[in-house]
Amino acid sequence: MTVAQATTISGHALGHYLLLSAVLFVIGVVGFTTRRNMIVMFLCTELIFQAAAIAMIAFGRFHADVSGQVFVIFILTVAAAEAALALGLVVLLYRRKETLNAEAWSELGET
Amino acid sequence: MAPTILYTACVGSAIALYLLLRPAPGSIKVVAVLLGLAAIGWVVKEAARAGEPGEAPVLIFYLFGLITVAAAVRMITHHRPIYAALYFVMVVLSSAGLFLLLEAEFMAFALVIVYAGAILITYLFVLMLARQVENPGEQMMQPEYDRLPREPAAAVMVGFMLLGVLGDMVLGGVGELPPSPSRLQQRLAAVEKLNLLPRRVEAAVRAELGRQTEALVLVDGDGRRVHLAGETVYVNVDGPGGIQQVTLPEDALPENIEVVGLALISDFPVSLELAGVILLMAMFGAVVLAQRQIELSDQEKQAAANAEAKAAQERGR
Repeated sequence: MTVAQATTISGHALGHYLLLSAVLFVIGVVGFTTRRNMIVMFLCTELIFQAAAIAMIAFGRFHADVSGQVFVIFILTVAAAEAALALGLVVLLYRRKETLNAEAWSELGET
Repeated sequence: MAPTILYTACVGSAIALYLLLRPAPGSIKVVAVLLGLAAIGWVVKEAARAGEPGEAPVLIFYLFGLITVAAAVRMITHHRPIYAALYFVMVVLSSAGLFLLLEAEFMAFALVIVYAGAILITYLFVLMLARQVENPGEQMMQPEYDRLPREPAAAVMVGFMLLGVLGDMVLGGVGELPPSPSRLQQRLAAVEKLNLLPRRVEAAVRAELGRQTEALVLVDGDGRRVHLAGETVYVNVDGPGGIQQVTLPEDALPENIEVVGLALISDFPVSLELAGVILLMAMFGAVVLAQRQIELSDQEKQAAANAEAKAAQERGR
């Protein structure tokens, strides 16, 4: 399908997508603050990225502009980089204390 | 839609999420799920009534949206991290469905391949590295930090206050957006993109005139090849029979992925390079972080030093 054949969405439908994106974002925030497992906390940040991506693509479709999709490519890049670094850190922390509990690290310092 | 409806639904779904987060018997969870569904259904019904007929998104949007939200909630409420990761895969798959609805085909598949295929596998590997429960199936064996949430009441309250404000802003704001571009404007933009792709134009012309024709696509003084007249897209061609107009078929216009690629390298070249640098740095960082320091005992160090000295002697001889 060519870009000229694609149909834009109405402002009303855009509101639906943005509301869904807001709900996903809030679920991600609630998960990040309530879960105590470090890996699940990072998964919740991925959920927040996902919410941002949906908002970007919906706005891009509304304005018939591909910049939204280009930004989602960058979101994917940052998410991949973040996952690699964060999981490297988690592995390091797990080796130190043999637990994934984030509260084990509430007092930082040499132990 | 009146803001009070949104706020009431926020309170309802906040209570539902709070009940789902806390360890509770199954009957309470069922009540919480019903309460959450009722809140979502109410908002959806009111939102559908607010718009003009024909403006609402297609029915599949609601299906994918419900799956996304339900999987996200299950992800943050599940005690087992592995299942949380698998529910996140479900979130990714259903939002890829939403991307398909928004006609962003490339991003939908990239999302499935990169997120579900690569990032989530990394997460699962790290989860497997961490200690596992001896007796699967027994929830009590899960460590305490996976079973009990931290401050669920405060987190849910703050989160859903944020949702109320965000939702109010979104619903009030979308009415004031400038109208989206008309069909003609979109067509014009597509033709502009096609102007940047001379080889594609030539290929389309050759396909129209027959392969053997030696035809030259004429370029205007202002660098344009492709023109738009009403609904037809045409180019001027200098061929054996003199200058003639050739109407291009509809599928000569660029597709979504081609436009994305063009925007990526023509509008955001520096960002693209920076993304490459970020990925490289993340790779270095991950390698440095994850390497294991092997600690040798004194005896082993001595043995290693002896072996090295011996090898040096051999080489010297």
